[in-house]
Amino acid sequence: MIPELNSFNLPILSLVVLTPTICSLLLFFVDRNNKALIRQIALMGSFLTLFFSILMVGNFDSNTGTMQLEEQHNWIESLGISYHLGVDGISILLVLLTSFTMPFVLLSTWSSINDRVKEFHIAILLLQTGMIGAFLALDLILFYLFYEAMLIPMYLIIGIWGGKERIYAALKFFIFTMVGSLLMFLAILYLYQHTGTFDLPVLLDKLKTTNPLDSGQQFWLFLAFTLSFAIKVPLFPFHTWLPDAHVQAPTAGSVVLAGVLLKMGTYGILRFAIPLFPEAAFDLQSMMCWLSIIGIIFGACMALVQNDIKKLIAYSSVSHLGFVVLACFIPNLESLTGAVLQMVNHGLSTGMLFLMIGIIYERRHTRELADYGGICKVVPLFSIFFLIAVLSSIGLPGLNGFVGEFLLLYGVFSSVPLWGILASTGVVLGALYMLNMVKKFLFGPLVHSENNDISDLNTREVIYLLPFVAMMIWLGLYPAPFIKLVQPTLTLYVEMLKN
Amino acid sequence: MELTISRAEILAILPAGMVFITGLMQLFVDLGKSSTDTRSEKTHLAMIGVTGILLGFSALFIQGVESSAGALYAGAMTDDLFGRMGAGVILVAALFCTLMSGGYLASSGNNRAEFHSLICFSAGAMVLLCQATNLISIFVAIETLSLAVYVLAGYFKNNRSASEGAFKYFVIGAFSSGFLLLGMAFIYGTSGGSISLADIAASNAHADPLFAVGTLLMIIGFAFKVGAVPFHSWVPDVYQAAPALSVGWMAVAVKSASFFAFCRFLLFAEGGQALTQILSAIAVITMLLGNLAALNQTSLKRMMAYSGIAHSGYLLIPLVLAVSGAGASAGASIPFYLFGYAATTLAAFGVIAAISVVTDRDDVNDLDGLARTRPLLATGFTIALISLAGIPLTAGFIGKLMIFRDAVEGGFLFLALVGIIGSIISVYYYLRPVVAMWFREPRSSFDLIPASWGVQFTVAICGFATIALGLFPNWLVDLSKMSVSAILG
Repeated sequence: MIPELNSFNLPILSLVVLTPTICSLLLFFVDRNNKALIRQIALMGSFLTLFFSILMVGNFDSNTGTMQLEEQHNWIESLGISYHLGVDGISILLVLLTSFTMPFVLLSTWSSINDRVKEFHIAILLLQTGMIGAFLALDLILFYLFYEAMLIPMYLIIGIWGGKERIYAALKFFIFTMVGSLLMFLAILYLYQHTGTFDLPVLLDKLKTTNPLDSGQQFWLFLAFTLSFAIKVPLFPFHTWLPDAHVQAPTAGSVVLAGVLLKMGTYGILRFAIPLFPEAAFDLQSMMCWLSIIGIIFGACMALVQNDIKKLIAYSSVSHLGFVVLACFIPNLESLTGAVLQMVNHGLSTGMLFLMIGIIYERRHTRELADYGGICKVVPLFSIFFLIAVLSSIGLPGLNGFVGEFLLLYGVFSSVPLWGILASTGVVLGALYMLNMVKKFLFGPLVHSENNDISDLNTREVIYLLPFVAMMIWLGLYPAPFIKLVQPTLTLYVEMLKN
Repeated sequence: MELTISRAEILAILPAGMVFITGLMQLFVDLGKSSTDTRSEKTHLAMIGVTGILLGFSALFIQGVESSAGALYAGAMTDDLFGRMGAGVILVAALFCTLMSGGYLASSGNNRAEFHSLICFSAGAMVLLCQATNLISIFVAIETLSLAVYVLAGYFKNNRSASEGAFKYFVIGAFSSGFLLLGMAFIYGTSGGSISLADIAASNAHADPLFAVGTLLMIIGFAFKVGAVPFHSWVPDVYQAAPALSVGWMAVAVKSASFFAFCRFLLFAEGGQALTQILSAIAVITMLLGNLAALNQTSLKRMMAYSGIAHSGYLLIPLVLAVSGAGASAGASIPFYLFGYAATTLAAFGVIAAISVVTDRDDVNDLDGLARTRPLLATGFTIALISLAGIPLTAGFIGKLMIFRDAVEGGFLFLALVGIIGSIISVYYYLRPVVAMWFREPRSSFDLIPASWGVQFTVAICGFATIALGLFPNWLVDLSKMSVSAILG
């Protein structure tokens, strides 16, 4: 169905990474008042990226678990840094998620972002390059470059187009992330001094054979890496930046933040922290798992008492990503598959929830639950879509959330039942706070007269929400193709950890 | 004794000579112009300056990359790649300062040829300092450049605080020269009467405790010049008082030239355990105190002063490695780092000079809404700040990568850790101008900053260079490494 491109020798990964950047460079030359043209160019660019990502999936051999479609070029030879990209089962879905989300996020901003449109699109396209690049980079410094390069556009997006407390939130976001990543940078330099390479596959090989680390070194390096990723996830107790950032960010910012950026943390744990320092990961397993469980329950409890819808969903992210981190530290196939799927599911459901809150906020300019109630009669279409997103987030069978959550919890149960039981309470609480929110938000009596004339979804909004719903149903009813992409890699991964 | 000058000696003096002559020409051209003329931009002065500096710059390329002329002028100076790299940084900085000064001085109503030619004179002395290889020529070059810079610092002579700052700078400068000279005397005495760095390294004076005292005194002298803690207290005061453009010139060129000479000196005078510890202690407190003190500054110039102190701290790390005897590779990061630092700091002071002309202040709040009124300046300044904070895809990141990597490899993990902590702290204050420029609205329409073409050009080129060096640093990194390993031959 998808053409084989191997014969063309197309640098497909570079295309996926660089298309948004090229597009943003193009935008520099567009007149800033020509908003329509800017929006169209950016949208085309993001669809082109999606197209290249689909080509990438088409050329991906789902029977092999190793790195594929690798590209390696010398870059900064004198410092030992190379441009090394590759994709495997862990990263492929996340890349797909990123390039899938972006066009619809851009569509959603057509009505909400009217100020400094040019700067906004340049920032968000650069952000996309950063995110995809970080998922694909196989050189530690290259990864670090992309990982950090995401910060600036996100910082600007929150700080320029955000809400009232945006400056505080942007600064908090930036400093939290920077603290972690600079310590990781030091750890990367230490690894280089130890092995003489920044290249991940070579590094993994050398750590196993010629240059093993002693347990003290593993411990500190693991902590440096994990701290950085834990802040990004965010794992309890490093989560405090998230509610602020989410509440203040514009809709597009929240969607990208929740949908993709947070996965950088869990991806980093899976890709770098655990494989590089398996002994330390094993030693600290219970600490990490307990932190995740605390995060799951704490996030859920905090979500229960929120009045601001955005804040509620922000805390639900803390809870949901707790599941993912928990599963990352349980090395069996089911839990890891569940973790990877759950990253995607969370991106879809939370992304869509944030988009929809953005829609209603544009109409009513409030996010307080108390200002709503009973609007399902006024905006039936909106309510249906919102309900689907909520149910997907809760994990209703038939929608995407169920598959990931089930696999994940099954995996956790089969190795440590206690953790499985505790984590499951998070699912129950999840249903509680989500349905409670829906009750106050959509149902009940229509008390506020301002809500009588909210307009329902328009065509553009339906267009960018429908793909999310379609993906939720596809992943919920027939997840096999996605699982098939993931599992060969994870099988190898589990074997590697067992040795 | 017959006086003969070889071809190599002429070539070695050519870059410095060019800029000295340029400075003189600027003075002569402006001679006899009435003082009412000080409000015009005087593009002819800039033209002369740019031509002369570019000629001097191209003279750097006459010799091949790898050739080193050895000892010239009886061992007073040399013409090697390291010296040429230093000269490169300084001449680039001089070029941009010249471009910016016309507009800046004209709008402050004080445009005379002296400013332009003092920049050229000090640039010539700095180039000589980078090439100096004996104690006397180091000292003479430092004194020459300092004299010119004292005047630049007090250039607005009707401004009381500028005069005060210049006087302070002069007193501290003289004081630090005393340290240098005393240190030189000790070294001269213990090394059996040799003044050439190579002879000193070859003599077996290293074991003598008085030699270590001499080295320490010279380190203190240099520490004053580069603003390392605890010899830094003059930096913020002088920076705040002096004209913005003079400060930019001081921050970039004086610091670069001093570091080039400092590095060359330390590579020859290995210091042993005690000096290594002292210098690393200086580096640690410089990094921490510079960054911590910058947190609270609302004046951009003071903030940049403390940030400059912090960057001196980072640059001391390779020098610690040099003193500890890690060999030639130790200082490899210095030329690269200073190139990146020059690009970012020039862009920053270009913007600060532009706003200080209108508002007569240099408060962070004066930047409010700059992204709307002057998108080019705001973008350039933002890139500069990002690079100073060491965030990837900029020259500043590659520079820090080199420094910290060398530190980890040389067994100074602790220094790298402190450097990282310093960088974390620095993010906070570097973001403040970004917040003002991008997140706030311009306060009133009167605040439109008249940016001269020189400033716009400088900020654009420096911003571009910062990114370009961050993306494709390979050639410059190689040159840096080569230049340092060529020093010891």
